[in-house]
Amino acid sequence: MRRSFLVIDDSKLHHQMYRVIFSRGSLAGSTVYFATNGKEGYGLLVAHPELTLVLLDLNMPEMNGLEVLERRRAEGLHPHIPIVLVTTEGSVEDEARGRAAGAWDYLRKPFQPADVELLVSRAVAQGATTA
Amino acid sequence: MSRDENPFGELLQDYVLECLPLAEQVADAFVELERRWREGDQADDLLASLAGRLHTVKGNSAMMGLTPAQEVAHALEDACGLLRGSSERRADAAASLLVAGGELLADLVRNAAPDLDPAPAASFVERVRRWMEAEVSLLPGTLPERRRADRRTGSDDAGSGKVDSVVRVDFRRLDAMLEVLGEGLIQHSALAEAHRGLARRTGACDELERLDQAVVALGKTLKRLESTLMDTRLLPISTVFGRFPRMVRDTAQGAGKRVRLIQSGGETPLDKAVLDRVSEPLLHLVSNAIVHGFESSDARRAAGKPEEGTLRLDAAPLAGRVVIRVGDDGRGLDGQAIRKKAEGLGYEPRSEEAIPLRNLIFLPGLSTADKVSALAGRGVGLDVVAGAIHALGGTIDVETEPGKGTTFTLSLPVTLAIVRSLIVEIDHERFAVPLAHVAETVRVEPETIREINHRGVTQWRGDLIHVADGGAMLGTAAGPTEPRRFYVVMAAGGRRRGLLVDRLVGHQDVVVKGLDPTLGRPDVVSGTTILGDGRVACIVDAVRILEGGRRAG
Repeated sequence: MRRSFLVIDDSKLHHQMYRVIFSRGSLAGSTVYFATNGKEGYGLLVAHPELTLVLLDLNMPEMNGLEVLERRRAEGLHPHIPIVLVTTEGSVEDEARGRAAGAWDYLRKPFQPADVELLVSRAVAQGATTA
Repeated sequence: MSRDENPFGELLQDYVLECLPLAEQVADAFVELERRWREGDQADDLLASLAGRLHTVKGNSAMMGLTPAQEVAHALEDACGLLRGSSERRADAAASLLVAGGELLADLVRNAAPDLDPAPAASFVERVRRWMEAEVSLLPGTLPERRRADRRTGSDDAGSGKVDSVVRVDFRRLDAMLEVLGEGLIQHSALAEAHRGLARRTGACDELERLDQAVVALGKTLKRLESTLMDTRLLPISTVFGRFPRMVRDTAQGAGKRVRLIQSGGETPLDKAVLDRVSEPLLHLVSNAIVHGFESSDARRAAGKPEEGTLRLDAAPLAGRVVIRVGDDGRGLDGQAIRKKAEGLGYEPRSEEAIPLRNLIFLPGLSTADKVSALAGRGVGLDVVAGAIHALGGTIDVETEPGKGTTFTLSLPVTLAIVRSLIVEIDHERFAVPLAHVAETVRVEPETIREINHRGVTQWRGDLIHVADGGAMLGTAAGPTEPRRFYVVMAAGGRRRGLLVDRLVGHQDVVVKGLDPTLGRPDVVSGTTILGDGRVACIVDAVRILEGGRRAG
């Protein structure tokens, strides 16, 4: 099955990094949607119930990561799609708040392609057991 | 582990684009911090506002495997953290440490490469560590242990990690690509023309329809290639601005003045070829302002102005060009001294109406400073600055008010590869006149152009200007069959001249192609271009025509 992903991040550099990550190894051939803020990202989440995984940056203008998580939970939108909160080292409290707001896991910057691949394979395995 | 194998190596340029403005804001903020601490201001807000930017630079550098930048950012973060907690540590030593670190960080980001010499970063990190240890008499080694630079590098064994994905391209290759693209555009217009001819002959048919679609699609693809290629050549102007905070600080110190630099618009993109050529003139204007523009602190106080001078450096995109302003709140230009000097040089400036001050100061040999300073001056006057800007297809202007200050305004093309031009027709040949140097187009009225000393002269905006025949100037094959109907007033740096033409065709962005050396064109042609209809047109070198024309008077 073709996998699709959503990246919500306000950094163009990070978009490019995700492009690299999703074009290599086991992730090659994936479809990736990009949003530059939470608002736009939420719209894409609504439109794509088939997403394998969402990578959500914490700090963004126009709806930050936590707000996206909270709204998604309040509206009960696609609860089957795992959302990974992307944080930086030293933001343990944010990670805790993210988890509380419904993040499936978190990914700390700096990360490498292997970290994302691992998250994806876990998400796929989990999807297979719950489906 | 090897830094060369970082999976994001090919994103080096994206990294610089995103992180350089941040690193430079950090570097500027440290200079500002030093200034405010000296004034007794704790500047807590500034320290706090830095944290996010440093953090982002650190994180992105780590992702990119650029360890030196990452470590310097981290050390600065640590130092700022310590300073946030305690105001008594905010001394000159701390400030110069931060200023040096900010500058180093900006340099490391600007020159980002996997093989960058790690020594300067390592020695700075060590300097910070020693300073922190001296400040906090506890736990040496706290800092290195917190560093997790190598934690994840090397764990990446997925994919083709062996390929060196960093591509560094010689800028001349981008030029060569543009040249090839130019050929492609010409061939496309030839193809389109042939298609039109064919369509006229055969009338509509399926094959022709498909050919039409293919020609249109090819045109779009070439356009896309052109804009992608142009984007590759663009860099934020902060790559030049980044040199200023430190330079202003040092120059001001050397001149015994207190100057505060305020910058904006560093993210404005410019073609690298323009950036390379504008940085010297800008440095010159800035050092001029510091050394000559600002009064001494005593004089400023006496005039009721703040002792510290304010120097503004702004850049902004404006109607397809980039405008850069260098403004000081110093003494303003001394009109009388300049006029006197100009007379001494034989320019015979008559009155403000005849030749405004702002045109005079760009004349060769005009420097009102009594002695040449080690910092500014260097025997190079504003005429050289103006010459460099004009050669770029730019313009320079000055506004000054006695006691209030002086502002230089530069208007530059975003790129040298594409020039916005006025297309004119002379003796059935087409020429492109860069719009930057077109002041006005005028319809020739009978009896308005007189001949004085075998040269055409006319009244234009209350002044006498020379008017030359375009055909004679540009060496057209045929002579004029009837009187020219228009003249184009070209202007640069206070010099103005009219060029007689037959017809004004319109405005167009033209792609500059180098000049074929065998063409034997006169030196007032700077290049050639292909017009929309496939015709070759020469680009008029307005600056050269103006230089060959009158000087002041």
